[in-house]
Amino acid sequence: MRLPGGAPPYLQAAPLALILLLFFGVPLLLVVVVSFWTFDLYGFHPALSLENYRQLLTATSTYKVYLATVMLALIVWAIALVLAFVVSYFMAFHVRSFGWQVGLLLICTVPFWTSDIIRMISWIPLLGVHGILNQTLLKLGLVREPLKFLLFSPFAVVVAYVNLFTLFMIVPIFNSMARIDRALLEAARDSGAAGWRIIAEIVVPLTKTGIALGSIFVLTLVMGDFYVVAEMSGGQMASVVSAMSNQISLLQYPPAAASAVVLLIIVTLMVAGILRVVDVRKELTG
Amino acid sequence: MRTTESGSRRPLSFYILAGFFAAFVVFLYGPMLTIYVLSFQGPRGGLTLPMNGVSLHWFRALMGPQRTGDFVGPFVRSLALGLIVLAATVVVSIMAGLAFRRRFFGANLIFYTAVASLIMPGLLIGLGVGLMFQITGAQPAWWSSALGAQLTWTLPFGLLIMFAVLSRLSRSYEEAARDLGASGWQVFRHVLVPILSPGIIAVAVFAFTLSYDEFPRTLLTVGSQNTLPLEIWAMTTNVTSPALYAVGTVTTLISFVLIALAIGLILSIERRRLRRAVISRGASD
Amino acid sequence: MSRTTKNRRKDPSRREFLKAAATVGGLGVGAAMVGPAPVIWAQNIKNVTLRHVGNSYSAITDIGQQASKDLGFKVQMQIAGSDALINRAVTQPGSVDILDMDHWAYKLVVPRGVLQGIPLSKFKWWDQVVPIFTKGTTLQGAPLSRQGVLPYTIQYLEKPESIRFAGGPTDVISIVPDIYNADTLGYRPDLIERPHHWRELLDAKYAGKTAIVAIPSIGIMDAAMAIESRGDFKYKDKGNMTKEEIDRTVAILKQLKARRQFRAFWNSFDESVNLMASGEVVLQSMWSPAVTAVRAKQIACGYPLLAEGYRAWASGLGVMRHVKGVKLDAAHEYLNWYLSGWQGGFIAKQGYYSSVPDTAKKFLTPDEWGYWYEGKPATAPITDPFGTVMAKSGEVREGGSLWDRMGHVACWNTVMDNNNYMVQQWISFLSA
Repeated sequence: MRLPGGAPPYLQAAPLALILLLFFGVPLLLVVVVSFWTFDLYGFHPALSLENYRQLLTATSTYKVYLATVMLALIVWAIALVLAFVVSYFMAFHVRSFGWQVGLLLICTVPFWTSDIIRMISWIPLLGVHGILNQTLLKLGLVREPLKFLLFSPFAVVVAYVNLFTLFMIVPIFNSMARIDRALLEAARDSGAAGWRIIAEIVVPLTKTGIALGSIFVLTLVMGDFYVVAEMSGGQMASVVSAMSNQISLLQYPPAAASAVVLLIIVTLMVAGILRVVDVRKELTG
Repeated sequence: MRTTESGSRRPLSFYILAGFFAAFVVFLYGPMLTIYVLSFQGPRGGLTLPMNGVSLHWFRALMGPQRTGDFVGPFVRSLALGLIVLAATVVVSIMAGLAFRRRFFGANLIFYTAVASLIMPGLLIGLGVGLMFQITGAQPAWWSSALGAQLTWTLPFGLLIMFAVLSRLSRSYEEAARDLGASGWQVFRHVLVPILSPGIIAVAVFAFTLSYDEFPRTLLTVGSQNTLPLEIWAMTTNVTSPALYAVGTVTTLISFVLIALAIGLILSIERRRLRRAVISRGASD
Repeated sequence: MSRTTKNRRKDPSRREFLKAAATVGGLGVGAAMVGPAPVIWAQNIKNVTLRHVGNSYSAITDIGQQASKDLGFKVQMQIAGSDALINRAVTQPGSVDILDMDHWAYKLVVPRGVLQGIPLSKFKWWDQVVPIFTKGTTLQGAPLSRQGVLPYTIQYLEKPESIRFAGGPTDVISIVPDIYNADTLGYRPDLIERPHHWRELLDAKYAGKTAIVAIPSIGIMDAAMAIESRGDFKYKDKGNMTKEEIDRTVAILKQLKARRQFRAFWNSFDESVNLMASGEVVLQSMWSPAVTAVRAKQIACGYPLLAEGYRAWASGLGVMRHVKGVKLDAAHEYLNWYLSGWQGGFIAKQGYYSSVPDTAKKFLTPDEWGYWYEGKPATAPITDPFGTVMAKSGEVREGGSLWDRMGHVACWNTVMDNNNYMVQQWISFLSA
């Protein structure tokens, strides 16, 4: 009997390939084709026009938005990486029971089971000028004026991103760490290696697959967001996808498609860059 | 190893890291705090502080129809869809993850397709899938078109997490088992599953979470009955009530109860397995 | 076509006949169409489920339930945001039966041929619909502002299957207009003086305490109202700006942003309520139910008539093209029910006007009618559809009566010809 463990790889990968082919391949094809089309009030017109790309690539706002979004992604990535590494380290090496590991992971997940939309609304009573945090700071005498930058600012966007996306860094890093044999760490400790050296020379190298995967998640999530940035900046910042969503909401598919193609190319190149540093598939076949 | 360790006292670093973890959890729950508090608003209260009385009014209100839309139907749909996505994602990503342990024709293409699927803006996926259903004459619905659109998002996550789970997993375990005469299924069930279980649970939790709160891909593929995030999103163009927050509070409470049950279950299974492992180790020695 | 229209208008007897035929209801007409067995038909129509998909301020659960009760077939309400509505109507028309959108969105959707026009012979209330929609004028016959999308301009079709709007009145309407209102700025009377002009939105003394709606096509129009009011320059059409006008507007917005004039651009209804109620913002674009939501918290919130006038909007019901046979009869019957008063009375208490005020009046107390429609002081507490007190005895609706308000419309919600360019500039403003 040839079952999952020993089945030929292309059979094992077939369900994934088929689902992606149907539900991603078809939309992708449509997007690429439509990105060359023209449109007017009455519909879309098949064409081989580069106009959508020309408009996108000649607008200075395009570059500004990409720059701003990439900057955001880098900041969020750095913070999430540090947080996730420490949290995962704790869960992987200090929490001894598998049951508790799962429990802690779930505790980190529960807030995500309340709609993003509700959670975004509820930042206002927390971080607003008259919000709980400012009231507390004022009462404690730590500030004289309420802090306005807490909400509707780049700061608020970063806080919300870190709040939402760190989990996506934790899960792969934790799984990588969970695969490290604790005997290895104990042996290193027994031979007198300092804690930070164990982390730098054993834990980090053995966790790099998880770090790379988490980085891919955070990068793609930030680059693809338009909702959080609008909400937390008080509608005063744009992301790469905000223009796209705006165009779609008014049936302007061809320019939206062109901008999706450009986004797809750029972010895929970024991911390929990460994979050049860490080949996440190498350790699979090794 | 766990047995030897459990006897020793916890080092100082444990407490520092536990404190860090607790702080992180507080940060995660920060915005939830206002949700919990405000869901106990009096019947006249709104979505902001200050409280306008304290009551359980909005929890009762959850069961009935809201001013616009309702919560019960969409909640049931979202839960069902989340579980279907969970099952599909776990099975498909585990299989695909195992496939990538060997080199095969098209591996690179599938891998980069999955990465691109992760990157593609969700609204366009929804648009494309919706169009596909329209052209083929199929009725879009949450359990068909929306399911497909969501899978283009959860599967790449599942696959990539499997990469972390399967990395540095020596094939010698399976080979040893096979040498001892285990069938393919036995190898999977008794060798791989126990090793992979943290990863499988992570994929499951991820898949459910991503689906349950999915918005852009579902928006244009849901058909004529909304999922919960869509219902809530549509509701926010009109007067909404603290019932919105009561949804969050109830979800959290139910989740905690379920998690407590799950931990209890896992701990008891673990204890049993540990006992068995000690016995079998003794035997193989 | 316009000739037949004129004939029709001059010929009351034909009109009377149509009305009489329609009063029997879609029922009679439907029975005639289906043929010899009205009983079977009546049973068939009981099996119909109409999928009404619309914005949450319009596709209200209670309305669907009441309709199902009154009509005997099922009306299933699904709420969705504007963007989802437009896209679903165009790319998945099969997932909707009755489309319920803001009027400007029909300017984009009708040309895609996914809707069918409604012959006036099937719609019995047209004579009583306010002239805003039928003629593009006020009750007194004064022409309404044509800045933005005046609902009248998207009202008529030559034939039910037309995808272009007719130049003037015909026998076929594209949509049944149902609700409309005039929007202005909301403010906190306890914190600032009553504003009198849109330009106060840009006043430095409110720096950091004002807000605009984040939907670019509406937000930029609110900004334009303020800019024009400040005297920077005059727009030819604020609802359909030229590229040059867009550039100038965005340049001014960038200066204002550098000065931190705006605290936020709000994305959702609740956000605007929260901003106002928390005092984070004291003057901002707002929708009328958001103002009442703030007041429901016992926080004062004004919604005054400003010298330059209102930005108005309307919403209407369209029948999707795939709806046929018995289902189409049900759809027409539903549209006739919709404006027969129950819905009008219901949404009046939300601060919206019905396109057939006469029928809505029957479902309001004289006091409610006086308060919501005539601008008279309330003689008893006024409640919203869900029983919350909206106004105390003696209070007057700001802006006055229906025609005081709708007579001062400066522009209509819109979609611009240069929308793509506008969005690009808006994004560049956001990323400045």
